[in-house]
Amino acid sequence: MTAIFINGQPVETGEHTTVLQAALANGFYIPHFCWHPALSIVGNCRVCVVEQEGRGVGIACNMPISDGMRVLTDSDPVRAQRKAMLQFILLNHPVDCGICDKAGECALQDYHYEYNGEPAISGDPKLPSTKFFPLSERILLDNERCILCSRCVRFTREISKSNVLGLEHRGDSMLVRPAEGRTLDDDPYSDNVVDICPVGALLSRSFLYQSRVWYLEPTPSVCPGCARGCTVQLWHRKAEWRVKGLDERHNTRIHRVTPLENPRVNGPWICNKGRDLPELLDRPRATQALQKGETVSLMQAIEAARGLLDQAGKRVALVSSWGSNEELRAFRNSLGDYFTSFVKPDHLPLEGEVVEDDLLIRADKNPNTRAGQDLLGAGVVQIPEDTDLILVWGEGTDFGTLPRGAKILFLGSWLLPENGHADVFIPISIQTERRGHYTNFEGVVSAFEPCQPRRDGVIDAETLFPLLSAPGGSASGGGAA
Amino acid sequence: MTGRKVLMDFEVTPTSHSLDDYRARGGYEALEKVLRTMKPREVTQEIVDSGLQGRGGAAFPAGRKWQGIDPDDGQPHYLIANADEGEPGTFKDRWVLEYTPHTLLESMLLSCYALGVRHCFVYIRGEYDLPWRRLDAAVEEAYAAGYFGENILGSDFSCDLFVFRGAGAYVCGEASSLLGSIEGTRAFPRNRPPRMTVRGLHQAPTVVNNVETLATIAWIIRNGASAFREVGTEKSPGTRLISISGHIARPGVYEVELGYSWARFLHEDCGGVLGGRPLKAVIPGGISSQVLTGKDAKVLTAGEVEGLTLDHEKLRSAGSSLGSGGMIVIAEGTCMVRLLQIMLRFYHHESCGQCTPCREGTGWMHRIIDRIVAGDGRPEDLERLNYIAGFNDGTTICGLGDAAGYAATAMLDNFREEFDYFIEHKRSKFAGNLE
Amino acid sequence: MKHLIPEFERLKTRLPPGHDATLLVPCLRRIQEDRGFIDNSDIDGLVEYLGIPRIQIEEALSFYGMLRRKPIGRWHLQVCRNVSCSMRGAERLIDQLIGKLGVQPGETTPDGRFTLSTVECLGSCGTAPVVMVNEAYHENLSAADLDALLERLD
Ligand SMILES: Cc1cc2nc3c(=O)[nH]c(=O)nc-3n(C[C@H](O)[C@H](O)[C@H](O)COP(=O)(O)O)c2cc1C
Ligand code: SF4
Ligand code: SF4
Ligand code: SF4
Ligand code: FES
Ligand code: FES
Repeated sequence: MTAIFINGQPVETGEHTTVLQAALANGFYIPHFCWHPALSIVGNCRVCVVEQEGRGVGIACNMPISDGMRVLTDSDPVRAQRKAMLQFILLNHPVDCGICDKAGECALQDYHYEYNGEPAISGDPKLPSTKFFPLSERILLDNERCILCSRCVRFTREISKSNVLGLEHRGDSMLVRPAEGRTLDDDPYSDNVVDICPVGALLSRSFLYQSRVWYLEPTPSVCPGCARGCTVQLWHRKAEWRVKGLDERHNTRIHRVTPLENPRVNGPWICNKGRDLPELLDRPRATQALQKGETVSLMQAIEAARGLLDQAGKRVALVSSWGSNEELRAFRNSLGDYFTSFVKPDHLPLEGEVVEDDLLIRADKNPNTRAGQDLLGAGVVQIPEDTDLILVWGEGTDFGTLPRGAKILFLGSWLLPENGHADVFIPISIQTERRGHYTNFEGVVSAFEPCQPRRDGVIDAETLFPLLSAPGGSASGGGAA
Repeated sequence: MTGRKVLMDFEVTPTSHSLDDYRARGGYEALEKVLRTMKPREVTQEIVDSGLQGRGGAAFPAGRKWQGIDPDDGQPHYLIANADEGEPGTFKDRWVLEYTPHTLLESMLLSCYALGVRHCFVYIRGEYDLPWRRLDAAVEEAYAAGYFGENILGSDFSCDLFVFRGAGAYVCGEASSLLGSIEGTRAFPRNRPPRMTVRGLHQAPTVVNNVETLATIAWIIRNGASAFREVGTEKSPGTRLISISGHIARPGVYEVELGYSWARFLHEDCGGVLGGRPLKAVIPGGISSQVLTGKDAKVLTAGEVEGLTLDHEKLRSAGSSLGSGGMIVIAEGTCMVRLLQIMLRFYHHESCGQCTPCREGTGWMHRIIDRIVAGDGRPEDLERLNYIAGFNDGTTICGLGDAAGYAATAMLDNFREEFDYFIEHKRSKFAGNLE
Repeated sequence: MKHLIPEFERLKTRLPPGHDATLLVPCLRRIQEDRGFIDNSDIDGLVEYLGIPRIQIEEALSFYGMLRRKPIGRWHLQVCRNVSCSMRGAERLIDQLIGKLGVQPGETTPDGRFTLSTVECLGSCGTAPVVMVNEAYHENLSAADLDALLERLD
């Protein structure tokens, strides 16, 4: 443990090795554009200056800790230099905040108000540069807003290793550019650069002009896209900014997904699949219970399901790997004894999707296989021909492959043709409508919170399972596989 | 004559750059002596004792830099001779490369031995053609004679040298920047810490020295540190190669003993200001050193006061430096506004663009001075230039940004009324004259 | 670029092993000497030969002033216009060349004979003004010298 003094206060630096890290960890804010905890230090923006007493002003992001050193984060020379750096950046920055998606969460805006506060002192016209340079189907680059901090470049070099982006030319002609013939579509992690860009130079096409960020708030969640289970923030409209005249869906829609930093799971990153979660969740929903394709009430469907359960001798359950820990436990506690249970993959890798890599992406495209298997075993799905009843929970099962004589009780969330082919179909809620946890492939448990109202007509699986195991039901089906 | 000689101690002939000629004047004897009789650390100690200062610009003591490396730490170490020579007004390393390349090679071998270096480099600027040919030929001669390669002269010392030609970027003269170039990337200067002697080329301890600094090593080892200390002044031992150009009657490269009289050098050795015009100013050590005004120089000629001498401490106290040894003489009647325009254009063109103040500041200053020269100057422009220059000083990753700032402040401090005149009258006080 | 690989291999013998990327700038220079410029296929070849990402090569190509990706005229006239040369008449030489060749700096004459460029200090200030013609320095040039020089370059 090393002790240093920041603004006269003693600070334990812990494992931190630079003044910037130690300061941030101890509640002393030092502005920074180019430094990012997960990227190499380049020290190019020069705004993170601090004064080391007796040694003058230097950049904190590359200033090693030495025992007893005394630094000032807000002395006159520090303020003057910071302000000058912001003036340099402002020289050719367009300040078109009014049409900039980053406004409201832009480091340049924030620092400007905090550390500069004056308009650009140059009286000369700003130099134009490329706006809306397409980096991929997903991302646009505004070179006028780019402050050349090189975070995005370092990301593709050091983290995603796609090596798509670089800094071409030199001096104030320097531009972020993709390698010729390549785009960020080659990088399954590309959207992270939009987050780490300290300004509004990298723009997500799906979020472009969709909402001012101050109308939105995040709900913590877990990406169900693969067994990594990255923790994410789902951004949706704040309750106090509800728009009344519009389609109510506008108020509940998920506008964007960003990583929820989590050192135990995903660090500060997620992959693009996680970004596309809104598309997955916006698929047409099943809200109507069915019995052999006929509309029935939810209660009638539950009754019918219990009937199926009572009549069947040999029962198999195909358990959803998208069920939460709570739901899986409810299943095991209520129905585990009735069924021979197999945890099945609801989703398989899609065509063109990265199957697995060294960073985050896992081949198992389901969030909770691990918890299911911990509770119910890891047996390979095997359905005897003489099975009487099959409980299919969640997507991904082709009914045509099931034994012809078996009745099917189907629990699902999406409007699918199969729903009508089941003997009983019960619509269940989705992740964004309820609270719960997933256990990722390494056994780390993460929580998700609801951010959308539960649709009328659907039931939480956790509530449903005890209702199905009504008293009087026999337990002759056998235990877990 | 400009005092005692260390490097120009032979007569230049059509063959004086060859191995035979070099050996005939005692070449490679120091290497043989060292390999037989000295330990690596003793060589370093000799350089420490000699007081040799870097000749590349910053006058950092060479021995102290070398002591940052432990030759026995088991890691690879690298030595790089900086022959990028891009500082405007500087063309003195070229003299070594063209006329006595073996002095550099022998010195590098001695240095590699001292520092435990197996692979060394000469980083030579991309435009240099004849200097490169001479150097390249000398390297081949030295390899053929067994001075490079495995088990040099039968010892267990092995060393390889690679001549790396740059490709046109002034910033590559900055020592950490050329590392990037050798590592196969575009060349961005690096932040310190870490010092290069801790983590340099390929993350290994590395020494970068200027060609002239290194070329002096052979003499020091051959003659001893105390002999070297007898040359020059107490604080600035030895000599400097001064390349002098601009409005001077006899431009060229001169070896000048440190402490030599400035006035004598200018007015006698170099034949005085071109065409006998009065002296206006001198840029003493490349445009990145601060301009000295003619006022100081006149003090010299008149011999009224003690007089400025050519050594590091005197120039530092005069607010400038011997820098890269690239001296530019400016005669009365020259437009300093246009001259600053050329300098600022240069820094703008050469900024690597990495750090905010230099990337934005050099372009900003360049555009302001262009506007002034175009007759569109505004009264606030000079304050603006001072502001930009001030915040380029000490705020950047490498010295290029500082130097751009110095150039502007030095010119504005010394020739302010020329700038005011230009802005007010929308024309140069000297009709834009540079010649 | 493939036919140059044996030459590149020889260069490696004096380099520390395991650091082949060092050859990037030397290879680019050699290719340009060979072909006159650096072609897309050369970049592809180097990606494979040196095992470095394409973007790294493109960054270097756009960083170093001497490297080019397009062919230029037979004679490349590079006039130094830094301080010492300007003090010895470089700006007059540039005007003279613009007048004579009918092109601006950065341009090539329509017959493909000359490309005119302005450059910063070439380290030849003592013999200013200097014009670099392809690799060779022509120093102490007067207006008449320059005219005579142009005559010799066909
Ligand atoms: C922008 C810039 C350009 C430089 N160019 C050169 C150069 O061309 N040659 C040189 O020897 N040093 C140059 N230097 C200085 C080097 O960084 C380094 O200090 C020097 O090579 C060390 O050698 P020395 O200690 O022997 O002087 C330059 C520095 C800067 C900041
Ligand atoms: S990047 Fe920031 S300062 Fe620039 S326009 Fe966008 S919100 Fe405004
Ligand atoms: S685009 Fe953004 S992240 Fe990339 S260099 Fe520019 S400012 Fe930095
Ligand atoms: S000072 Fe200029 S040249 Fe040096 S690193 Fe910064 S931007 Fe590059
Ligand atoms: S955060 Fe330290 S220089 Fe950018
Ligand atoms: S100024 Fe032209 S060669 Fe130096």
